[in-house]
Amino acid sequence: MTTSRPGLSVGPTSEFSLFFHVRPGHGPALREALRELQAAPGYRDGDYDLPIATIHEARFVPFDDDTRLLFATSFDGPWDSYMDDFASKPLKLFDAIFRHVEGYDGLPDLESVKKFILSAQVTAGGYSRNYGGTVKQIRKAERVNRAFQEVLDDPAAAEALQAPALAPLLAEAAD
Amino acid sequence: MDLDLDDIQAGALHERPSPYVGTYLLLRVNDRRDGRKLVRRLIPLLSPAGAGGAWLTVAFTYRGLEALGVPPESLAGFAPEFREGMAARAAILGDVGESGPENWEPPLGGPDVHIALATLAPDQASLDEAVAKARRAREEFPGVEVIWRQDCYQLPTGRTSFGFKDGIGQPAVEGLGEHPGETPIKAGEFILGYPDETGGQAPMPVPEVLGRNGTYVVFRKLHTRVAAYRRYLRDRAADRREEALLGAKMVGRWPSGAPLTLAPDGDDPSLGADPKRNNDFRYGDDLRGLKCPAGAHARRANPRDALDHEGAVDVRLHRMIRRGTSYGPPLPDGVLEDDGADRGIIFVFAGAHPRRQFEFVKTQWLNDGIFIGAPQESDPLVGRGGDFTVPRQPIRRRLRDLPPFVVTRGGEYCFAPSLSALRWIADLREMP
Repeated sequence: MTTSRPGLSVGPTSEFSLFFHVRPGHGPALREALRELQAAPGYRDGDYDLPIATIHEARFVPFDDDTRLLFATSFDGPWDSYMDDFASKPLKLFDAIFRHVEGYDGLPDLESVKKFILSAQVTAGGYSRNYGGTVKQIRKAERVNRAFQEVLDDPAAAEALQAPALAPLLAEAAD
Repeated sequence: MDLDLDDIQAGALHERPSPYVGTYLLLRVNDRRDGRKLVRRLIPLLSPAGAGGAWLTVAFTYRGLEALGVPPESLAGFAPEFREGMAARAAILGDVGESGPENWEPPLGGPDVHIALATLAPDQASLDEAVAKARRAREEFPGVEVIWRQDCYQLPTGRTSFGFKDGIGQPAVEGLGEHPGETPIKAGEFILGYPDETGGQAPMPVPEVLGRNGTYVVFRKLHTRVAAYRRYLRDRAADRREEALLGAKMVGRWPSGAPLTLAPDGDDPSLGADPKRNNDFRYGDDLRGLKCPAGAHARRANPRDALDHEGAVDVRLHRMIRRGTSYGPPLPDGVLEDDGADRGIIFVFAGAHPRRQFEFVKTQWLNDGIFIGAPQESDPLVGRGGDFTVPRQPIRRRLRDLPPFVVTRGGEYCFAPSLSALRWIADLREMP
């Protein structure tokens, strides 16, 4: 866990949390916008295809009777290096949500968007992870495991895995 | 929006001649009045953008602007990283250990570097003439002192000390002509005072005349360990063909400049020499890197469309104009033992956003591998060591713990103002 930049990082991944104040009376509309986002392609349960491919997961949490909103995610790389990239395009994906929070006036220019984001960012007091890989590495690992399971489903696998070079795979084959 | 070419220093926007010879001088301002007089004397020598032949480019460090008496309210408007200076950013940039500022060549990174003068010419006679003019201008003003000189020249091969043609992948700049297969980058990415790729403009100092038509210049002296590099390739290749292929996989291009993406199996000198074709390619059909590894130097420095589907990065916000040159004697062909000579590259960047252009590319794309899903890797030529993966059928090749082939000898963040801004600086007066 390192603290030299805004946001804590563990290995290649950094935490990124934004706390907003919901505009008075906008709680129900915010909830509706979140429901719509959740139903959108990529965000739906089982889609696993968020438009930003370097975040591990993301959540929007309305709290304090829907007067506050938390956005929390884990990002591969130091997120502050990618600030300009986020602010110039991907943030538009969340326009329908952010319009219900204070300090958001659309996206007039990069500097005001960055100011909006930075004013809401709070660095975590603690951050831990259960795996060290990036999203790209995890997806590769999933592909490799699927391939390995396919191999194991082949009746010839038991014999093929006897080759000395495949000993590490054989060690993973029993369960 | 039309670029005010007559007001922009030539070196910023125009590619160096080829072949070229050049001289970099660093000056210290001991007397700000002499410094301003020198600036005034230099203005007529700075051919406006669009002029050919020999040209001079003048740029200032933050300390240099201070030394010339640029007022605090103006100094405050420059980019924070420029104000800090390269030595202060060394840890971020990965310039540590033998590349750290404590080991830099004096006076680089120190408080005495105020003015940088670059002179580039197509031949020695033109260079001598231009340098003599600059020297005469300087000699009139004893309050300005030359504290460092570095000559550079194009090697007879026309390639870098590592043996590769370079300077190919320059961005097309809106208003300055087009490149095949490329949408030009907004001028404001490189020159202050114009719209950039975000739709906004880079922050500028006040008054407007000081910033507009200027550009930030990053200058680095990079020593190349050519013998170690050649020995590394030789030791890991079964034959000369494999050695050449491994070298190309590390660079992303063959020695002629032919891109691996278009010539995956062998060098194609006619392709490398053809400016209409040698940069007209993408990586979209090679996301696994079987032709050009994702970790290859040229692909890291400009991933083109390789990251477009990921939604996290806009490559157009991270382009760099590069004006690198070579210094030192070439290591003769076939020599694998270090001869002790200092040789390498003077890396020069020009852009309006040093942090999200030069620093981003250096830290996220060259020094790191997170963006390609390989945190344990870095650039095989200019990175901080680590592994390098060469995708290939049936099984990838992975090289472990590459040694560093490039050592930072020093560098500076500078600002190359417009000609109008130079007049404004020359006209500065002490506050009564």
